Amino acid sequence: MVINLVDLWPLVSSQHFAFPFLHLVATSLLSSLTPYSEPNFLFYFAPRPILLINKSSRLCLQPSLFCRPKMVSLARALAVSYPAGCPCTNTHAPRRWSSARLITLKDPNSRLKWRSKAADSDNTPPPPLPSTSAAPVDAADSAAAGFCIIEGPETVQDFDKMELQEIQDNIRSRRNKIFLHMEEVRRLRIQQRIKSAEVGISDQEPESDLPDFPSFIPFLPPLTAANLKVYYGTCFSLISGIIIFGGLLAPTLELKLGLGGTTYADFITSMHLPMQLSQVDPIVASFSGGAVGVISALMVVEVNNVKQQEHKRCKYCIGTGYLACARCSNTGTLVLIEPVSTTVGSGGDKPLSAPKTERCPNCSGSGKVMCPTCLCTGMAMASEHDPRIDPFD
Amino acid sequence: MCSVFSLKPCSNVAISADSSITESSWKRNCVSATARAQVIVNVTTAAPNKPSSLLLKQLGIPHSDLRVEEIVERQSSHNEFYRSFSTDHEVMSRKIKPKLDGEFLDESYERCREICAEYAKTFYLGTRLMTEERRKAIWAIYVWCRRTDELVDGPNADYMMTNSTVLNRWEERLEDIFNGRPYDMFDAALTHTISQFPLDIKPFRDMVEGMRMDTWKSRYQNFEELYLYCYYVAGTVGLMSVPVMGISPTSSASAQTIYDAALYLGIGNQLTNILRDVGEDALRGRVYLPQEELAQFGLSDRDVMSGKVTDGWREFMKAQITRARSYFNLAEEGASHLDDASRWPVWTALLVYRSILDEIEKNDYDNLNKRAYVGKGKKLLMLPLAYTRAQSRPPTLLLP
Repeated sequence: MVINLVDLWPLVSSQHFAFPFLHLVATSLLSSLTPYSEPNFLFYFAPRPILLINKSSRLCLQPSLFCRPKMVSLARALAVSYPAGCPCTNTHAPRRWSSARLITLKDPNSRLKWRSKAADSDNTPPPPLPSTSAAPVDAADSAAAGFCIIEGPETVQDFDKMELQEIQDNIRSRRNKIFLHMEEVRRLRIQQRIKSAEVGISDQEPESDLPDFPSFIPFLPPLTAANLKVYYGTCFSLISGIIIFGGLLAPTLELKLGLGGTTYADFITSMHLPMQLSQVDPIVASFSGGAVGVISALMVVEVNNVKQQEHKRCKYCIGTGYLACARCSNTGTLVLIEPVSTTVGSGGDKPLSAPKTERCPNCSGSGKVMCPTCLCTGMAMASEHDPRIDPFD
Repeated sequence: MCSVFSLKPCSNVAISADSSITESSWKRNCVSATARAQVIVNVTTAAPNKPSSLLLKQLGIPHSDLRVEEIVERQSSHNEFYRSFSTDHEVMSRKIKPKLDGEFLDESYERCREICAEYAKTFYLGTRLMTEERRKAIWAIYVWCRRTDELVDGPNADYMMTNSTVLNRWEERLEDIFNGRPYDMFDAALTHTISQFPLDIKPFRDMVEGMRMDTWKSRYQNFEELYLYCYYVAGTVGLMSVPVMGISPTSSASAQTIYDAALYLGIGNQLTNILRDVGEDALRGRVYLPQEELAQFGLSDRDVMSGKVTDGWREFMKAQITRARSYFNLAEEGASHLDDASRWPVWTALLVYRSILDEIEKNDYDNLNKRAYVGKGKKLLMLPLAYTRAQSRPPTLLLP
């Protein structure tokens, strides 16, 4: 059976179809899948998806234990949480998931309610921003998965119960998803450019996520990635022009820049100084040198500005993406206090043992937690390249 | 949402560029019920020639509905003043020492200061007029409020796929803060602030509620709805800061009236924000002006979006500005009931913020296209004026 998810996408993305669609997907999976994923099986599904029915047990959706993870999962398709490697049978102890994040088949109304609440109000909803047209869609799957992007004290334990192999599989599958999504974005951008050209919209610059930013030097126009090239070009040509002027033109033309139209040689003679001094014309030399120096200094400043602005830092975490964990005051460990006996008995003679420490549950020992303002990216405007990769770094 | 912190909803405009937003959000003043009635009477008699149908509703939602007195009571009781977290049973049972050591806290407060200086420059300058302890507390509160706002209105709010889960979790974290278990360094600064000043959790909760409202509501039918919103996002700020500012021991007014005045100052600030940013908000599809009142003056959303200033619009704006001013007057009466050291910054904020309304008038009520802006010079001039107002003693015949 071939299900082309792409064709079904409009259905999925429409607000009220998501849940019935899930049902359809679930039943079709159960009925038709074979142990090994077929090459023409265009339907994306998770390596070992689990559909949680309620808190204490789960219905395993996976068709087999042996699905190869090469089929990359599309979270949207199933909107499930992925404890990869979970066995199909119920013989394993049910995993406990934080109730806040469960989405249950038993309660489809909650999700529909959420959607309808967002959609209907007695007033017009704010117009969706163009760059976020995908956001409601993504909101669907993430919300459906019960995943909340903001951390709390218990959330680092989210994937706590998974086995090491499961975790590795999950990481791999998610990273695959990310690459796929990036590729999709790239193709969509191509389409976008094609279509805007068709419609006749004037060729827009590739919309970058970062707006232009003001120049450090007063009175100059704001910089963007595009006109940075113009800046470089102008600077370069100015410098070379000045060098050529100072080095070639001025001596060749025997410019008389001194007072009263005299050359430097005349000046030297008039001052009765040795003629050797006249070999270099200081007026032109100083002017050229100064100009080149100033222009290159300004250019360096501007380049610095560009670097800074492009990675405009989130002020809360100063660009690191993380905030110090308050539970352990940034150390990563919690000191356990044992009551110390002070009686003059056998306990009094023993030296105090070093206080035991345990790993801080808030930050799992890393000493830092996610910055909720920049979502761990460290940038004021979050984008794909960020410090989420290694929380222990 | 235009909050008193002048955070622009979902825009990339540098907030701190707007230096006309000042610490005015933090100021609260005491006013007696009679003074309040007086002001209302004044408002209604101010324009004797206008038919009564063109006058706007003055009172919003009674504060008893908002359960402000609970907050007042909890924040006034001195028993809770020195909050100790050692009574946290879970902590005791697990024998884990909650570390809020000095160095960590100092760094947290320092970071709060930097953020305040970065995002609210004029407000920051105002806080410099306060005592050191109060300053730190205000910064910590500011950072929390700003972070909460950025969840809904910040540049990355779209990635957060703002739904109730995010704000629910944020509220859980708030509860943890009040239980002495802060999650990150800014939470820790707020936890320490709570141990120093008798703050109650309800205003913070109400602010989160206001953020929730902002995720789905973009039109307001009547003034009551708008008042509720203003209470949530700005009135709560006033309530949060009264314990920090402190009430003067020589004041004869009751705590309730002082808190009411603080609330009114917050409302006034928020209304001013709204009136200043009509055009900007309209561009983003939000109209905060009550629909019924627009209709009362023969206007509608279309007029707001059109960007054209008509005579009808001017009349409407005049009435709105009058009402906003009345809230400032309500708040003004008892500015001197605050602690001595806190009066000057409060008065400064009040005066500067009220002058934004003057600027709107000077722009010929064109808040659809122009942004009313109080220049630096004018702000500096307010400082000595505020100083003189701050020196006046509380009126002795004030009824509690």
